[in-house]
Amino acid sequence: MSSSSSRGAARRLLALALAGPVLALSACGLGGPPTADPAESGGDGTHLTVWFPGTNATEIELVTETIVPRFEAETGATVDVTFLDWPDMSTKLNAAYAASTAPDVFGHGPAAVADFVANERLTDLGPFLEQLDAADREDMAAALPGGQVDGTQYLMPLSLQASLLVYDADAFTEAGLDPDQPPATWVEAKEVARELTERDGDRITRAGLLLPSHPIGLQQSFATLLYADGGSQISPDGTHATFASPEGTEVLDYITDAYSGEQAVAGSLGQDLSTLPPAQQPLVSGDAAMMIATAPQVQQMMAADPDLDLRVAPAMSFDGSTAPAAFGGAGPGLMINADSPEQELAWEFISYLVSPEVSVEYTEGIGAIPMRASAASSAYVSESPVLQAFLAAAPAMVPNPNVAGWVQVRDTMARHLEQAANRKVPAEEALSRAAAEVDDVLGRAG
Amino acid sequence: MSTLEQTAVRVPAAPAPGAAEPRRRRRLRPTQWIGVLFVLPASLYVVVYQLVPVVYGLVLSFTEYSPLSRSGPEWVGVANYFALVGDEDFGRALAVTGQYVLMVLPPTVAIALGLAVLANRPFRGIGFFRSALYVPHIVSLTTVAVVWLWMYSPNGLFNEALTGLGLPPQSWLLEEDTAMPAVAAMRVWKALGSNMVLLLAGLQSIPRELYEAASTDGAGAWRRFRHITLPGLRPILTYVVAMDIIYLAQGFAELFILTGGGPLASTTTVNYLIYTEAFQYNSFGSASAMAFVLFGFIAAFSFLSIRGIAGRRS
Repeated sequence: MSSSSSRGAARRLLALALAGPVLALSACGLGGPPTADPAESGGDGTHLTVWFPGTNATEIELVTETIVPRFEAETGATVDVTFLDWPDMSTKLNAAYAASTAPDVFGHGPAAVADFVANERLTDLGPFLEQLDAADREDMAAALPGGQVDGTQYLMPLSLQASLLVYDADAFTEAGLDPDQPPATWVEAKEVARELTERDGDRITRAGLLLPSHPIGLQQSFATLLYADGGSQISPDGTHATFASPEGTEVLDYITDAYSGEQAVAGSLGQDLSTLPPAQQPLVSGDAAMMIATAPQVQQMMAADPDLDLRVAPAMSFDGSTAPAAFGGAGPGLMINADSPEQELAWEFISYLVSPEVSVEYTEGIGAIPMRASAASSAYVSESPVLQAFLAAAPAMVPNPNVAGWVQVRDTMARHLEQAANRKVPAEEALSRAAAEVDDVLGRAG
Repeated sequence: MSTLEQTAVRVPAAPAPGAAEPRRRRRLRPTQWIGVLFVLPASLYVVVYQLVPVVYGLVLSFTEYSPLSRSGPEWVGVANYFALVGDEDFGRALAVTGQYVLMVLPPTVAIALGLAVLANRPFRGIGFFRSALYVPHIVSLTTVAVVWLWMYSPNGLFNEALTGLGLPPQSWLLEEDTAMPAVAAMRVWKALGSNMVLLLAGLQSIPRELYEAASTDGAGAWRRFRHITLPGLRPILTYVVAMDIIYLAQGFAELFILTGGGPLASTTTVNYLIYTEAFQYNSFGSASAMAFVLFGFIAAFSFLSIRGIAGRRS
């Protein structure tokens, strides 16, 4: 036998051996994931896999060492809890769904819900909720809408989240302002901010008012002011953008003027304050006198500097002509994988986490706003003026819309808002362009 | 019998035109089977973990596919590629990617070459000098980026230094004009060590006799560098430039951590856009198409750089 012919035979053999896996894997991938029928696969009600978003050490310890072991002891079930870094959450969930290995229960922000719903990946929690007392449901009324898509409950929020104006009372006093009389409108807030702003030549050394201005923060600042001005982001039926309006232009100009021009009250446009450690937050370092912040941020700042006298202003109207509103609503929550064979146990786990005592224990552990109105009487809230202020704003909270394609809508808005905030294009033009692109995204997602 | 005759005897007669070639089953010898078995695990690894994902990615680029979808990929032909032609974001990301490569590659290679020439001389502490320069390469890019994020922060090391010199602090990563140069500076620092070591190996492979002969002929330092060092380094320089282009054009982690693609998309590279498209918007089809267009650009520019440096014959 010649060497060339044997090499040829070897090559053919190798090709055959390798072509098998190639074709098999390609075929698997193109066929799409198999669909599990929870009714057919039927779990035995003893084991649950749960993915939580976040890497907060306190939350991880509380959930894995206190809450889950107690649930396991009460039910006799075993629960495998995995905490995932927020930026990895969508990536890993998508991969798990594609491979049919998604967990029974998983947590995420409300912004992600509609896309899961559009692909029939979530269990309708309505029938489970109906099993609860009416009073129990009423107790959670402020949080539940944030977990709904087209009126159907898919996400059970574990906390409320809101962005409110927070200010340094000492800075007010130093500037001759009354710290017990915070601004009543956003227009007034900017006037106060001008008095609080400190400069070294052209450079702002202490911002009078800091609005979140990194891309996602910019969209949230815009939503905060837009809601306060009586505007909306998306039409009620979720089909088209509504932010390209006179109110939208007015609040976008407000943001732009806050960061540049002679009347500017802040610098560092685009800085992501949410990633700064508490001790480096502008209110702690003295780099700002007022800022928009969330409840956990405020509590962390106060813990970083106990001498700091931080106060929270109530939800505000933009200029006093409309009802006060605040950007917020349901915080991250839990959903049930529609393919999970453990539907009952999954709901049992969720309802345990949102039960009155455990809910307060959980939100206290992570410094969040409780999702139940009854939590106002708990020691956690009643002893904290900050939480009381945030909980008092709950009726005025307006969340981002829960529509399919929201993440892309948000990013599209942020990109154009950034253009306007940097004075690359006028506010009206930026909003008009953003609206056209958002309509396209909503059209494709819908 | 001569070798030529032996060969002539072994050559089989050509089949008559139109006649079917006799099919002969040839069996592998046991030693050849063993060879195949030795090669098989590594080949399977390459195929399953490297070739299949690439082929699958190519197939996905002709489909519309969300991993959340229950229906699997939907064939759309070349629509994803056509969509990229008029996609302003993709065009800008390509330009940003090119800008990033151009900002990092020339200074990295030039400085690394200078350091390699320095490190090629015997002096006290040379081992420490070489090790110190190589350290950034062995630290994870993500870790390095986080450290530099702190150094670029408003109250970070660079602004502290500027303030100490009586200069105003800068918003390094927040200004459109400074964000990309700031990221590029970090990447140059990170890439210096590995490039220097490769170039140092290249320098040490150049025969000493050439330098001695050139010196004897009266060649100065510059002429020795120009006519001996650079030609001698050509193969390794080609490798360094090609690999740098390949790595830099896929820049992602450092941009994700330092700038998040901003401000004003000034640091949104194609790889960053691919990540957003695939994992934020669940559009695996268009993300795969972007990946293969990027692959085409990287392959073309790597080829051109190899041709440019190594010459046509190489």
